[in-house]
Amino acid sequence: MEREVMLTGIGGQSVQLAAQILARASLLEGRHAMFLGTYGGTMRGGNTDSTVIIGDAPIVSPPIVSSTWSAMVMHHQFWQPLREKLRPDSIVVVNSTLFENSFATADSATDSTAPEDVPRIFEVPATQIATDLGNALGASLVLLGAFASLTRLVGLDALLQAMRDSIPSYRRQHVGANETALERGFESLPPNGAPAWPTAGVAQ
Amino acid sequence: MTRTLMEGSEAIATAAVAAGCRFFAGYPMTPFTEVLENFGKRLPAVGGVCINAESEIEAIGMTWGALATGARAATGSTGQGLALMQESLSEITRAELPLVVFHMARGQGDYYQATRGGGHGDYRHIVYAPIDVREAVELTELAFDRADHWRNPVQIYGDYLLAHTSEGVEFTADPFVPVAKDWAVDGSLGGSGRSRNINPIGMQKGSKSIDPESFWKRLQVKHDQIEASEARFESESTEDAELLVVAFGSVARFVRHVVRELRSEGRKVGYARPISLWPFPAEALAAAARGTQRVAVLEQNAGQMIDDVRLSVLGSVPVVGIGGISSDSAGFGMGPLLDTRVIRGRIESALENLEVST
Amino acid sequence: MSSDRLDVLDTHGRPTRVSTRVGEFEPKLLLDGEHDLCPGCGEPVAIRLLLEVIEELGYAQDSIGVIGIGCYTAFTGLIDVDLIQALHGRAPSVATGAKRMRPDKLLFTLQGDGDMVNEGLQEVIHTAARGESVTCVLLNNGVFGETGGHMTATTALGQRTKTSLEGRDADYHGYPIPIAELLVPLGGVSYVARGSVADAKSVVRTKAMLRKAFEAQIAGEGFSLVEILTMCPTGWFIPTADGPGYLDEVLGEVHAAGELVVGGKPVGKGASG
Repeated sequence: MEREVMLTGIGGQSVQLAAQILARASLLEGRHAMFLGTYGGTMRGGNTDSTVIIGDAPIVSPPIVSSTWSAMVMHHQFWQPLREKLRPDSIVVVNSTLFENSFATADSATDSTAPEDVPRIFEVPATQIATDLGNALGASLVLLGAFASLTRLVGLDALLQAMRDSIPSYRRQHVGANETALERGFESLPPNGAPAWPTAGVAQ
Repeated sequence: MTRTLMEGSEAIATAAVAAGCRFFAGYPMTPFTEVLENFGKRLPAVGGVCINAESEIEAIGMTWGALATGARAATGSTGQGLALMQESLSEITRAELPLVVFHMARGQGDYYQATRGGGHGDYRHIVYAPIDVREAVELTELAFDRADHWRNPVQIYGDYLLAHTSEGVEFTADPFVPVAKDWAVDGSLGGSGRSRNINPIGMQKGSKSIDPESFWKRLQVKHDQIEASEARFESESTEDAELLVVAFGSVARFVRHVVRELRSEGRKVGYARPISLWPFPAEALAAAARGTQRVAVLEQNAGQMIDDVRLSVLGSVPVVGIGGISSDSAGFGMGPLLDTRVIRGRIESALENLEVST
Repeated sequence: MSSDRLDVLDTHGRPTRVSTRVGEFEPKLLLDGEHDLCPGCGEPVAIRLLLEVIEELGYAQDSIGVIGIGCYTAFTGLIDVDLIQALHGRAPSVATGAKRMRPDKLLFTLQGDGDMVNEGLQEVIHTAARGESVTCVLLNNGVFGETGGHMTATTALGQRTKTSLEGRDADYHGYPIPIAELLVPLGGVSYVARGSVADAKSVVRTKAMLRKAFEAQIAGEGFSLVEILTMCPTGWFIPTADGPGYLDEVLGEVHAAGELVVGGKPVGKGASG
């Protein structure tokens, strides 16, 4: 089984870091993972997107997917291409502090659509939580923590370790704040509300 | 066994250093740049050298010198940079030096360049086109081994996706044991009357003239031997396939995915992938195509590998191209063709055309 | 045979003056003392100096040479030193890679002016600026000798070649490049000198330059270059015996002999800082 997670945001929101931590945490739990980041022309302020694929066996999916099981949305500005790839029953965790568009548009849900055929939207005020923690740049980690709690795609311990492994040595001073961001995010959505794996527990 | 998350470029450099590569020289150019960066991080730590050369031409010249001393050494670039290196690539082949080239291309439009070359004279390179990062690690290890074995250049032909996709990879190869190279120059035979000469034009010590014909004929024999023994190939679902889809490199990953999807829906479609682009796995491909009604080649270019596919099946089955040029706005080859929905559409219409024409 | 016409020693009778023997007639690091280059060519003299210095420094079994493409390439088969044959212009990069893998060996290139100053100009400049511990030896005759006498980047103004039939004209062909002077301001350069093989005194001075260049490399002081002006009477379209005089009058006017950088410091008339 392979699970796709697409992430979108604006350059500078640490979207690629969140994707990398998610992929690395999956490896720590014994699964297989792959991710591909894509960027606009600028390092900061342009679009930044990433696709993470996690599986029980070596990943066979191409790194660019045509549809996704889930998404993490840090900002609305560049989210339209991702939105078109959402499967009817996909899981979407949204940074509600910054997201300004409406999800309920004519083509995403109609009166005749069964509830299980529309993406399930989970709102997390990630930027607000991170700002309150004094670490506004940690918003993507708050959202990642919330996503992990909801889906149990990976556990919190693996996320924390993967974050420590992903921070370059010259940014070591951010490790503590990032731990708090992941933990607070993990508390912000109901645990296992939309489980990723058929049975509880961790692949070996 | 632990899998480490690594971008393709990092995995390639790590595999190369593990395979004993101790010298790298290159010139930055997207999407190859990170390969250079990763060699720059890794080589000094093992006593090796990585030079950010002033040009691609100088990069391959430096690598030439390192190879001549017997070191395992590599260079790389994109198709554009390799175009600048062609003179040296062909001459290094004639100097019989075990060069490894990491070609991170902007799409698949450099198939001709990789397999035919743009340099002068009769020469051949082994070319491997990995489908993903894990295979790139294996083929990198193999590339250094085969280069030494044949004393012939080997190219790894990847692209933006290969260089920039991160995957969990394992490094399981045995630790590298340096190979004795009695042909390498270390200065030690000076004044002995038996001094060495790493020479691309067939000039022997003690002779004032060159002997191109016998020298080049010997290389031809070697290249024939490589062609007969080094082809690599993968295929799936070919037994009862009515349509065989052929693809290489990263694009093959999309094609394989779609073929599996179609197979699970009962469609009689097969998949074939040359892993080595030279030697081209002609016999294996012809066998896979036997019994099919049509062979479709899906490559991200105007139609280059299709020549080799046609030469392989020799008219026994019609061969059509269903790929095409596809690029992003920056020209890096990340075009709209890299989409399983688009590829599924192309393969489905090839299947439908089959039904119409039969 | 009349000895009046030729200004050479008449060996048919007793010597009228004492001859001086300055050394062996062949350097030891040569597999065959006979070469196929033209009579009057200066390149074999320069190569002899190079090989003698390597041997005298005790580096016969610790040297790697990288040979460019020109008339002197014929010596690739004759020089008894481990060699790498490079492409036209590319020797400095090849020497760089070899030296980085074998830092304990003496690395030299042997290149002509077409090779170094035309095709491979950026290679020698970059190698010098990197301060690579290699010695580049330039045999400069101001002409493509091997192709039959065509203009190079060092051809003197007024010099007649097959591609400057009326003489090199600055307005039409541009100016010659004084490569040794070009390297003087670069960091990483430890020794730069220009010698000649036009006469016995120049030969002795040039040999001393080669020795200093190699000593700088051995001491790890950085890049060194010795440019040697050599005669090419065939490519200059002049009588063989006129070579040395033509060298001094035409080529030597543009490319003046002398040391330019010693111990990493500019010296001589170009040393204004």
